[in-house]
Amino acid sequence: MTDSERKGAVLPAAKEPGDAVLDFLRLAITKKLADAVILPMKVPSGDSYAWILMNDISLLDDAVPIAATMPVQGAKALRSLTRKGPGNLTVIAVMRPCEIRAAIELSKLGQVHPDNLILATYDCPGAVQLQKYVDDPAGSEKRFAEMLQKGKPDNSAKPVCHICEDFSLFDSDLHFGYLGLPDKEMLVIAGSDKGLELLEELGLASAEDLSVWEKGIDQLKADRIKARKSAFKETEAQLRGFDGLLSVFANCIGCHNCQSACPICYCRLCYFDSETAEQNPDALITAASKRGGISLPVDRIMFHTGRMVHMSLSCVSCGQCSDACPVSIPVAGAFSYVADQTQRTFEYTAGRNDGDPLPLRQFRKSELPGVHELVKDADAEVSSHE
Amino acid sequence: MKKEFTPRITSFLCKWCSYTGADLAGTARLQYPTSIIPIQVMCSSRVDPVFLIKAFLNGSDGVLIGGCHPGDCHYETGNYHARRRFAIVRSVFESLGLESERLKLSWISASEGPKFARVANEYTEEIMKLGENPTRKSIFL
Repeated sequence: MTDSERKGAVLPAAKEPGDAVLDFLRLAITKKLADAVILPMKVPSGDSYAWILMNDISLLDDAVPIAATMPVQGAKALRSLTRKGPGNLTVIAVMRPCEIRAAIELSKLGQVHPDNLILATYDCPGAVQLQKYVDDPAGSEKRFAEMLQKGKPDNSAKPVCHICEDFSLFDSDLHFGYLGLPDKEMLVIAGSDKGLELLEELGLASAEDLSVWEKGIDQLKADRIKARKSAFKETEAQLRGFDGLLSVFANCIGCHNCQSACPICYCRLCYFDSETAEQNPDALITAASKRGGISLPVDRIMFHTGRMVHMSLSCVSCGQCSDACPVSIPVAGAFSYVADQTQRTFEYTAGRNDGDPLPLRQFRKSELPGVHELVKDADAEVSSHE
Repeated sequence: MKKEFTPRITSFLCKWCSYTGADLAGTARLQYPTSIIPIQVMCSSRVDPVFLIKAFLNGSDGVLIGGCHPGDCHYETGNYHARRRFAIVRSVFESLGLESERLKLSWISASEGPKFARVANEYTEEIMKLGENPTRKSIFL
């Protein structure tokens, strides 16, 4: 759907953006346009959130659609619901844009079946780092409320949130927009035919003027694009060469939390957890005697670089890997930077719903000049040799 | 006397073209350096990107993938996929500032014994200029 085709409606005023979203969902369920919704809800201890699939409308009172932090990547929740097929319930999922992008990538990987899902996003100011949230839930809520007001991430937010360009409408079916708008105003905008149909049935498809909201988003985006450029420059310098790689990843404790928190790494058995990846003890002794010594267990650098080639084409830079790292390695910063480069190689952007297949599922007969045959004019030379 | 540097080039050669090409170079008694360590694979697309990384981190000075010429793949399109996979690894290496020259993809057909010998010679020379792989001496991996 192009910008000019976009249709949206102003939602009735509510106290907070989250409340407006809840009112919308209540309406959709009451009118029987959706059977259930997926939303975050506080866990009983109150120091984190969990995804709840709910069809009881009274549960919505306790739900927090725009949660301060993201403990489990929403795409994982959607995968657990639809990995075997679309199911027969119409479910509205309200998630951060990076979660919806990951879900779109997973649908290309056959892990999420979005047919009966209505994917809804909102203007995301950023997410509080999980550890910081768990340490101080009340304080984090306060800081997040401020972030929500300004539309900008602060120091407690994940580092990747500061460099995220796609924090607003991004190929979801529905989008709740409020950044740049006057207080307590909220727009609901259709991003696909599916979303438009729902809005029409709810009587909300009036074409309102979206320009104020669009302008507000563009302003915020400009800041983030600037931050992204400088952050990538810094990461590039930090990672430079094998020594640079070691300086970032050598304190990895090999817990593989980054991989299990990653929405894209859906494989039941990762190669790096498999028996095949285990080194033969004799080979280790040989390696140690050749090098003078070797760190054990080995292959931590291989794990990270291997993951870069395995999943960076689908990386949506959600930052879950950094949140999951117990030794504070800036995993997400490195992966975000590398993913930007690899996706550029194939002119692909992860998380777009534009029908572009995954780069590894297709090829062109003539492409990627300079990748093979570094020997100059190889074939011409062959004939002169023979 | 300083020990002369002999590179080690792990070479994944497809059974149908490049490996047969290497065989032909042998039967034709063409000279090529001992730096090439051939590993036969059924198709160049069998080479998982992690194979390249593993070879690199374990101290190979160069990694070569040899496949059929585009359009000649025994499995019709395997080498096109291999090229895409290779491009990812190259791209990751470039963004990490690792020496992407240590990775090479070459199309060598079963009849191109002389080309195999020439690629082996030239690539070895190239790697000699680059010198030893920095990961060879690293304790941390």
